[in-house]
Amino acid sequence: MTRLASLSRRAAALAGAAAMSVFASGAAALDMVETPILMHPVGEGQLPAVADRAPEEPLIVDIEGKGRRVGQHGGTIRTIVGRAKDIRMMVVYGYARLVGYDDHYNLVPDILRAVDEEEGRVFTLHLRKGHKWSDGHPFTTEDIRYWWEDVANNEELSPGGVPALMLVNGEPPNVTVTDETTIRFEWPAANPSFLPALAQARPPFIYRPAHFMKKYHVKYGDAAEIAAMVEKSKVRGWAQLHNRLDNMYDLDNPDLPTLQPWMNTSPKGAQRYVMRRNPYFHRFDMDGRQLPYIDEVDMTVAAGGLIPAKVNVGESDLQARGLSFADAPVLKKGEEGGGYVTHLWKSGVASEIALYPNLTYEDPAWREVMRDVRFRRALSLAVDRAIINKSLFFGLAKPAANSALPESPFYDEANAEAWAQFDPAEANRLLDEMGLDQRAGDGTRLMPDGRPVEIIVETAGERPEEADALELVAETWRDIGVKLIYRPLDRDILRNRAYAGQSMMPVWFGWNNGVPTPEAAPQELAPVDQANFSWPRWGQYYQTSGGSGEEPDTPEGKRLMELFDQWSSAKTDQERSEIWKEMLAIHADQVFVIGLVNQAPQPVVASNKLRNVPEKGLYAWDPGAHFGVHRMDEFFFVK
Amino acid sequence: MQDHDDAEYHYVSPEAYDAEADLQSLDRVDLDAPTYVLIWRRFLRHRLAVISGVYLVAIYLALPFIDFIAPYAPAQRDADFIYAPPQTVSFLTDGHFAVTYPIESTIDLETFQAKFETNYDKPEPIPIFANCGPKYYLFGVLESNLRLFCPPEGGTLHLMGADRLGRDIHSRIMHGARLSLTVGLIGIAISFSIGMVLGGVAGYFGGIVDWFVMRAIEIVRSLPELPLWLALSAAIPANWGPVSVFFMISIILGLLDWPGLARAVRSKFLALREEDYVKAAELMGASPGRIIGAHMMPNFMSHLVASATLSIPGMILGETALSFLGLGLRPPAVSWGLMLNDALNLTAVTIYPWITLPLVPVIMVVLAFNFLGDGLRDAMDPYS
Repeated sequence: MTRLASLSRRAAALAGAAAMSVFASGAAALDMVETPILMHPVGEGQLPAVADRAPEEPLIVDIEGKGRRVGQHGGTIRTIVGRAKDIRMMVVYGYARLVGYDDHYNLVPDILRAVDEEEGRVFTLHLRKGHKWSDGHPFTTEDIRYWWEDVANNEELSPGGVPALMLVNGEPPNVTVTDETTIRFEWPAANPSFLPALAQARPPFIYRPAHFMKKYHVKYGDAAEIAAMVEKSKVRGWAQLHNRLDNMYDLDNPDLPTLQPWMNTSPKGAQRYVMRRNPYFHRFDMDGRQLPYIDEVDMTVAAGGLIPAKVNVGESDLQARGLSFADAPVLKKGEEGGGYVTHLWKSGVASEIALYPNLTYEDPAWREVMRDVRFRRALSLAVDRAIINKSLFFGLAKPAANSALPESPFYDEANAEAWAQFDPAEANRLLDEMGLDQRAGDGTRLMPDGRPVEIIVETAGERPEEADALELVAETWRDIGVKLIYRPLDRDILRNRAYAGQSMMPVWFGWNNGVPTPEAAPQELAPVDQANFSWPRWGQYYQTSGGSGEEPDTPEGKRLMELFDQWSSAKTDQERSEIWKEMLAIHADQVFVIGLVNQAPQPVVASNKLRNVPEKGLYAWDPGAHFGVHRMDEFFFVK
Repeated sequence: MQDHDDAEYHYVSPEAYDAEADLQSLDRVDLDAPTYVLIWRRFLRHRLAVISGVYLVAIYLALPFIDFIAPYAPAQRDADFIYAPPQTVSFLTDGHFAVTYPIESTIDLETFQAKFETNYDKPEPIPIFANCGPKYYLFGVLESNLRLFCPPEGGTLHLMGADRLGRDIHSRIMHGARLSLTVGLIGIAISFSIGMVLGGVAGYFGGIVDWFVMRAIEIVRSLPELPLWLALSAAIPANWGPVSVFFMISIILGLLDWPGLARAVRSKFLALREEDYVKAAELMGASPGRIIGAHMMPNFMSHLVASATLSIPGMILGETALSFLGLGLRPPAVSWGLMLNDALNLTAVTIYPWITLPLVPVIMVVLAFNFLGDGLRDAMDPYS
């Protein structure tokens, strides 16, 4: 393998970590210990012994080095999900990724032994020798090749074409399989999103269990057999059948082999899903115990509103989903009876509750007003964040604008505080200055065309905190002559209205990624996604390559777009950091998103027998995968 | 002796004979009173109904003066008193009519609960007929901030505790009554007028008219209500204030509720129109409107009144049910339904039980309407 001198810091880190793991397995004197629950099947000959199941180069985790305790095997974690679809959370919490974030949010190889990156455009993935799927079949580069050639590039299986991630300026990569454990993706230009995407909570699975799926693929399978199976399962064709069985993320097919620490054993439509340990998992502790420590995860489906009540009586051993800070007192009260402890983690989104003035709103007069930065600043200044924090979160959150959290290398106090102090006088001055100085009888300001300044805030109405926060915001906005009307809508209706430009100012979380790192794509900060309520029409324009929507037409919008493009072709972390900083500064100054508070407390309930659950942590979707970066496979029960 | 025996067999009034007396007059004049007097007398015999009636009249009369009676405005909040428990009040202490004791709040980060300590050493007199709080407009014109009683100077008076934003539950229940008690009336009025007119017309005319009305009833009945409510509440423009929204909801509720009554009216009228007095009226040339309104409807009054009073509680609970779904009234409107909506979680029930207090007026009003309806139904048939 050729390694160029201009390796980025990240590539060096990856290579370093790889070298470490090679070294560790080189010290292969690792005495592997059989997992108690698997002793019987191994003795019966149903399962190979642990040494034969493990990859030749397992990932050896220095658990004590991370400040955790080395655990023991056994036990069942019970947890509750709101709907049957959520069993996919097991893939999220399990967090076995080709490359994944460690607890300091650095990208490190996980399923892969190592990654070599050259010029940000050539990626050589090194698999672990002897790594096996959960059914014991070897996991090789054939599985990646199968996905790339026979799934992603198959028009029937992927009618939408190759995923956008795999295209750089519309160009697909050149994929070369060197041997069973080495595969190379080579793009003509840099593709900085590639590795971070593989580490997402919901990653693009660029590998598929080829040995299992080929049976259902016309290119490999027996045509008559496939036809019979299509007939039997009443789908339209082989492609539908293939796609239905091939849900690596949804985890709804118990027969589909996986690389995750736990695999689903229950068929679709159950009330209770049993996730059993994957006997071929690639991570081991330094004493030779195969991870995960926990034998089974038991997911029960219950109505969302019942989750706090069920947790309260001790029906869950590990729970954060379905719990909100409002439940904290009752959770705390039930600790003794329920046999659990309640930790308060911090939410990892950039803002817990954020208002998105829609710069592409359909009404031209309003659009003019929304695009005036003085208007957005005035609205932000007229929010009493301290009161919101006190009323909703007992002062445990931080009153701050929508900005990077202190855990991020880009945290800047000035950004967090920009236009976030409570200053109604200044807000009034800004609004008067921009010409909204006429008022109706009830004190509401009037637009130049005589309509009152009434802002309809639309919400999915899923969180009661939102309504309370908006009530407090409405109170202080009334003092600056702006009327806020709160309107709950169904989530899908809200999105569709926003895409059509009909939403005035939706309320949502701030950026999902509150701890940006240089390699994270700044897509939430640039007008590239119609799901971003600040500029749905601009996002549409980008996503449809100009087919619909509108081109960004303000200087700031154009600048963000430029920076996004620059980030995509940047070669070093240094450049990427500079770009991130500039984008964050533009956002802080322009107040595209009015954040109310961030770092809100998130209750995490863990059985008092469960160990290695961090007391403090960041509860974030991406990067983080909720329990994922906290490595749930290292949690264990004491007897 | 002889005289005595005669007296046993023939009653002779000891009163002197009055030649002027009208032999046609009734022995008991009180029974010859007009119908409404009879109804009234009969009604008064139903104790529970009378008490309920007085209670309902009292609260309805109080509605316009809620701003004066309630110590706080509905949206007034105090972040220091989030989830404050009900405060103690003592009467005729320390030379004051009523005093309360200040409470101090601290946030306990161990239990994530606000803790409140009542200081019984420092009684604070409750000002009666005092000026406090934000100004309100009595009847929409008289600006005032006079209130029946006020929180003590610099103190608080949360008789039923405070909610999750530190708003006074007692005052909010009173303000909520305005919406919750009137939504029923408007809805009932609409559903009754539709039900009586359509049912009356169908029953009186029969034939093709009857056929159309009955089909209309079946169609309305077969509409799935929940999706319909969903659609209708989504159709209400977003920038309407909560009061217009509430008005709209009562109309929607009324428009959906008439078929039951229309059917009852129709079936009764099918029987009544064969009566001789109806025939007589027809022969004398009375118009159908007069026959229905003046001759047939009074026969049916007891049923109407009873079903009206019985459906008012249903209407109040209907508004509650809608708010519950997040579809009906929405903040910042204050109604019992909205308040109960907030009370529906484990935290409220186990840790802050006073959040569920709006249940009490709902139960009381529903019971009162039911007793009143019961009494009225008995009273409406004074000849039975």
